[in-house]
Amino acid sequence: MSDVVMKASDLRREYHMGGELVRAVRGVTLEIARGDYVAIVGPSGCGKSTLLNLLGGIDRPTTGSVTIEGSRIDQLSDAAATRFRLHHIGFVFQRFYLMPALTAIENIELPMAEAKIPRDKRVRRGRELLAYVGLEARYGHRPAQLSGGEQQRVAIARALANKPQLLLADEPTGELDAKTGTEMIELLAQVNRDGTTIVVVTHDEDLAGAAHRVVHMRDGVVVDDRRQR
Amino acid sequence: MLAALLIAAFSQSIDSTPPPRPPRTVAIDERLAADAGIHVGDRLLLTPTPGGDVGSAGSGDSVIVSALVRRRADPSEVARAEYRVRMHLDELQALIGYGDRVDRFAVSARGTAGTDSALRRINDAAFGFRAYRSRDIAVETSRTFLVVSRFHRAIGVITIVASAIFLLCIMLLKVDERRRDVAALRLMGISARSIVRSVMVEAALVAVVGSAVGVGLGWLSSQIINWHYRGVYRTPLAFAVVTPGIVLLAVSLSLALGLIAGFVAAQRLVHMSPLELLSGRREERSPAAAATAG
Repeated sequence: MSDVVMKASDLRREYHMGGELVRAVRGVTLEIARGDYVAIVGPSGCGKSTLLNLLGGIDRPTTGSVTIEGSRIDQLSDAAATRFRLHHIGFVFQRFYLMPALTAIENIELPMAEAKIPRDKRVRRGRELLAYVGLEARYGHRPAQLSGGEQQRVAIARALANKPQLLLADEPTGELDAKTGTEMIELLAQVNRDGTTIVVVTHDEDLAGAAHRVVHMRDGVVVDDRRQR
Repeated sequence: MLAALLIAAFSQSIDSTPPPRPPRTVAIDERLAADAGIHVGDRLLLTPTPGGDVGSAGSGDSVIVSALVRRRADPSEVARAEYRVRMHLDELQALIGYGDRVDRFAVSARGTAGTDSALRRINDAAFGFRAYRSRDIAVETSRTFLVVSRFHRAIGVITIVASAIFLLCIMLLKVDERRRDVAALRLMGISARSIVRSVMVEAALVAVVGSAVGVGLGWLSSQIINWHYRGVYRTPLAFAVVTPGIVLLAVSLSLALGLIAGFVAAQRLVHMSPLELLSGRREERSPAAAATAG
């Protein structure tokens, strides 16, 4: 298998909003190597979240292609793209989006249940992941009983449940205070050291500083692509 | 010996003194007993009119209460407030001076097999009488209740239709409140089918629990209604009954409505893209994109 886990070629995304044509992404080409840690940064409205959505198969490009592990995800049907995300991509959101009625471990079990993993294996893996993110004692707590940082840790554990090759994160420290944000940066770095490729969209300079590679965007195009280490 | 027996028999046959008459007995309405404080064994004075005299034929009689009669659960008797006394027919005739005259009487048949032929024979032979089955009389006297029953059914249907619309709206709103959760699930890779299934399972659970609570409330309400009106009308009649048929209808109807509402609400969500669900706004489609999609 190639060292390139993801390849985006001349990605463009245009849509109409308020009667006007918006060119959110204007010809982005990007290759992400296996095990890399990439931060996409830029001012608000520069198209970085749109790019992340295109890379994750959530949104479809107007033109261009996205290939992950050899699969053209821009050509997949909605159901097939959803299935692909289940097994190959983990998502972490700014607002966590944990299911409020489920406990921490049940939230982590959700993607595994969808992947038809037997219950005993799900519980074992769920506990391992909770221990990995430092929340093994909180497995029976519901999101409302957890702090913001703890919820984001559970969200990361959930994103890693099906052992994805790629973890996409959109402003994962956006809702956290400075101290908790730092802990989250350390956790993401640990996840990357353990072999998961990470692409993170952020305004947080500390988070971007922890990445191996920083892609700067402005007005829908990549203006700088620099490796830090 | 034989002569002695013959003399004794003869002396008995020529004794014209009537044997002592057993006391006349009546059965009275349980309500009358309760209101007037009458008990079994009490002696009463019966007169054909209020305040009538005793002694002269047809004007009154002294009787002993031998039984209390509880009213039947008959809808046609609910509104009848008068007290009732049951007595032997000949004694009643003597009391009211009617003589050999009867307005109506009931014939109890041993089985249903001979009822038709008995009816036919009575109607052929008894000039001036007309015989009916008790069932036919019940139907005739229950026409008012049939109308009331149909009216209730119409109210029930209107209530069900209104509830269905209400349930659908509530379900749509509740599911719509969770569109961000649904979007997150879709982004995680949870299939639309799984989301629809979980919403429908939840809707079914809500419907079953809701209908169980509804049946419980209905049963409790019926007990209160029956307790109240039985007290008002002093009848054992059940005014409100929660039958197994009603329970089955309510549960199956609410389950069906819940499932339909859940399905409609879930379909509405899973047909929107996760991004639309998260942002809450729908992307405007360019004419070219619309043509391609179409």
